[in-house]
This record gives sequence, C-alpha cells and structure tokens, in this order.
Amino acid sequence: MIEVKNVSKKYGDFEAIKDISFKIDEGEIVGFLGPNGAGKSTTMNMITGFIEPTSGKIIVNGFDIDRKAKKAKKEIGYMPENVPLYNDLTVKEFISYMADLKLIKRKEKKAEVERVLNAVGVKDVQNKLIKNISRGYKQRVSLAGALVGNPKILILDEPTVGLDPKQVTEIRELIRSLKEKHTVILSSHILSEVSQMCNKVIIINKGEIIKIGNPEEIENQTNETNIISVVVEDEENKFENVIKTVNSIKTVKFIENKENSKSYEIECNVNDDIRKQLFKECAKEDITIIEMKKKESSLEDAFLKLTEKDEEGGKK
Amino acid sequence: MFAVLKKELKSYFLTPIGYVFIGLFIAVVSFVFYSYTFSQHYINFEYVLWDSIMILTFITPVITMRMFAEEKKNGTDQLLMTSPRSIVSIVLGKFFAAAVVILITIAITFVYFGILKYFGSPSLVVALVAVLGFFLLAMSYISFGMFISSITENQIIAAIVPIVFFLLLGYFSQSNGIFELLSLVNMFQKFPLGIIALKEVVGYISFSLLFILLTIIVLQRRKSVK
Repeated sequence: MIEVKNVSKKYGDFEAIKDISFKIDEGEIVGFLGPNGAGKSTTMNMITGFIEPTSGKIIVNGFDIDRKAKKAKKEIGYMPENVPLYNDLTVKEFISYMADLKLIKRKEKKAEVERVLNAVGVKDVQNKLIKNISRGYKQRVSLAGALVGNPKILILDEPTVGLDPKQVTEIRELIRSLKEKHTVILSSHILSEVSQMCNKVIIINKGEIIKIGNPEEIENQTNETNIISVVVEDEENKFENVIKTVNSIKTVKFIENKENSKSYEIECNVNDDIRKQLFKECAKEDITIIEMKKKESSLEDAFLKLTEKDEEGGKK
Repeated sequence: MFAVLKKELKSYFLTPIGYVFIGLFIAVVSFVFYSYTFSQHYINFEYVLWDSIMILTFITPVITMRMFAEEKKNGTDQLLMTSPRSIVSIVLGKFFAAAVVILITIAITFVYFGILKYFGSPSLVVALVAVLGFFLLAMSYISFGMFISSITENQIIAAIVPIVFFLLLGYFSQSNGIFELLSLVNMFQKFPLGIIALKEVVGYISFSLLFILLTIIVLQRRKSVK
C-alpha cells in the first residue's frame, strides 16, 4: 500500500531523515512514535507529497508520489499537524471546498459532504464559521477534510493534541471506527494512544527508524526483567530475610512504610515468576501479603529504553 | 482551477478585502469624475480612468497580499498542495479570482460611462480601449503582488514590497533611457487615446506571465527546500 524506500531529507547540512525504509500494508493502523522533532511530521509530509525527499522513493498504492502525483494524492486523506483550516469559511463550505480540491464529481459532491459531516459528527455546527467553533470541533472538521472522497489511506498527524480528555476519547473512537475502510497512519507522542489503537508501531528518533513491530512485540522485546510489587504486613521485619531464600531475585527496593504495611518492588529475571514461591515463603513466616502484582510492561518503557539506547549510541 | 477560483472569490467577499478594494477605487473614480465633469465640464470617461489608475499601486496589494502568504502562515497550504490539484491550477485559480474582482470593479466603474452617455456623446470604442488597458495594467500589478505573496508568509511584507517596487519603477521611469520602458503606468498612456498598441499589450501580458511563472516556480521549488 505504502512503500518508503531509502528516503532521506536534508535541510542544508542537517539531516532530518536518514535513509528510512518501511512498508505499510492495506488495512493496517500504523503508529508513528517519536519524541518531538524526531521527524514524524517530515515523514508524513513526504508521503503526502507536500515536501520532496532529498533522495529515495515513496510509492503510494502503486503510484510514485513524485511522478504520478495526481493519482497518488487521490488515494490519501491528510490531516496535518495543528489542524490548518480556512477560518472565514463555514464548516460545510470548507468540506465542500475540500471535495472540489479532491476532484469529487459534481453529482456526488452533495451526498459526499453530507456523509463526511455525519461521519465525524459535526452536522450540528455545519453552518458556523470555522473560527467560531471549539478546538475539538476543529479537529473533527480537519478529520472530515481528510475523509472526503473516501481515500484508501488516511494520514493523521497528531490527531489528539490539544484536546481535553473527553474529546481525546471521542476522536480515538472515531479513528478506531475508520479502520475497517481505511489504512491509517497516525503520529503521536502519547504512547498509550498508540498501543491502544495501532497494530503496528514505527518508532523513530532523530530521523532514524529504531524499531518496527506490533506494540506487544516491542514491549516484550525490550523487557529484560520482571518487576513485582508487593505490599506486606510484617510486624517483625522478617520479610527481608524471606526474600533472601528466593532464588533469581535481582534487586529488592523498599518503597514505603504505610501504617502497618510495607511495600516493596522486587526485580527478577524475565523468565521467572517468583510470585508463587514468595507466597509460600511468606506464609511460612506468618507474613500477610496484602497485595502482590506483576507490573505490566508498557510501550512507554520500551520507548524510553529504545530512545535512550539510541542516545547513548549517538554519544559514542 | 475553478475550485480554487470559486473559493478565492468567495473569500474576497466574505472578508472585507473585496469591498475595501472596490470601495477605495470607486471613491477615487468618483472624486476624479466629479472634478472633471462637474468642475471642468469634460465629457471624457478615459481621462477619468487615466487619472484614477495611480491608486492601483496602493490598493492592488490589498487583494494580493494574502494570496499565498496567508495560506503558508496558517498551514492551509498543506491542504492545497497535498490535494490532487496541480500547482499550476492553484496559481491560475488564485490569479483569475483576483482578475474577476478587477472585472467587477470595471463593471461598476463603467456606470460613469453610462452617465456621460446619457448627457453627451462619448466614444464607446475609446472608453473600451481604455478599460482594456486598465485591465491589463491591473493584471500586471496582481501578478507581481501574487509573486511577492508566494515568497513570504508575512502579509505586511507582501503588501509593502509591491507598493515600493511600483513607486520605484514610476520614479525611475521619469528619467530617460532604459528605465522609461519599465514603467507600467507609462505603458498605459496610449490606451485612453483609443490606441491598442501592440508593444504595450505584449508588454503587459509578458509582465503578467513572467510573474505567474515565477510564482509557480517558487511553489514548486519550495517542495524540495522546505
């Protein structure tokens, strides 16, 4: 569906994108992850044909974005960062203009505009000037602009930035509902968002791809240890001794002392689950376990690890 | 092209821009008309037009300053440039939208010809030739203004540079020599006499084409430098 082949982008001497390649298949929801300034928007702007790569090739649904620009661009709906909109137009006028720009036939235009207005739920503000609607609605209108003409590919640059939590959930729902009909690429620096919505993640840092895979894979791969948090009632301070009898524990961290209970974080090897053993040992010593939980590894951790690793590598 | 043309034209009249331009021009024409016809008893539409064109230097930037500068500043150029429309059709759409504003202005101005016709017998042909010259001159101003608007995202700069440029052209063209040929205003002189001079027509059209082309090149180039 989308093929990015050895693409680089230079601004003078500064290399914003360094020789990246990846493939996106039909029906995938792909998350572009990276810290600010990593090159997410630049990459998206290149896929949409807004800017040209310094070298490399981008093929969109079989069409070269550079040579067959018109055909390639017809396949893409783009929601740029910071939701640029024409403030002097009403919502409906804007969508109708987008339909004109996207070569929608006159006969189909009216129905298509209606469809899109309904799909993103902005029908009730359709006759308001865009400058007078709220940020959440603007985001929807921008998404509507991308949806006009039912393009196969949707490229959404930071679709939830600047929204309040309720609006964020709404927009996410909306995007999730699109996955049946479209291939979606979205960028974000909010990791939970990506791990919730995407089935493929591309982590990018300083213009380079450092990992491609599905979210669980990436989480597991970077996960080197298991962390178990325990809260115990231990009046005689025997817990520390108990722990010594359990094998494969790497470190034990005392977290806090709360009324009668103490909490610890225990780090052990990734393949060992010590919970059972710990439970038995504690029972022997008459220590009450109030809470015991394996900490879920998150994409957040994976991301931090990967970008930090990259940083260290860069320093060397 | 028509998609962009239609939207741009709408924008001119949804915002005060179109009204400001037309209003200012008609105000000047009315003043000149009054002083020629009522004070000096001339029945001559061409002269009214001739004396009114100086104001174009100052008011065409009202139309052209926002053309591309505003799009770039607001980021809406991302919507335009990632649509399947070509850069050529976008530029021409914007250019012809401004041309339509000029045509509307001309249509309103022509009311004064009607008034003269009612009371006297001015020549329609000469008046039309003068209008043609006026239109060509305005197109040249617009193409230059559009070009400046495409290289900046600051609308103030996009307005001031063309004004200064045309004032300088006017200033230098007062001296003899090569600069004389440069003045767009000087090139207008034969039209009110009822003469369609090839040199002037070609001059205006080439000037407009040159800056339309340069605008296209600027936008094309920006894709690779941006």
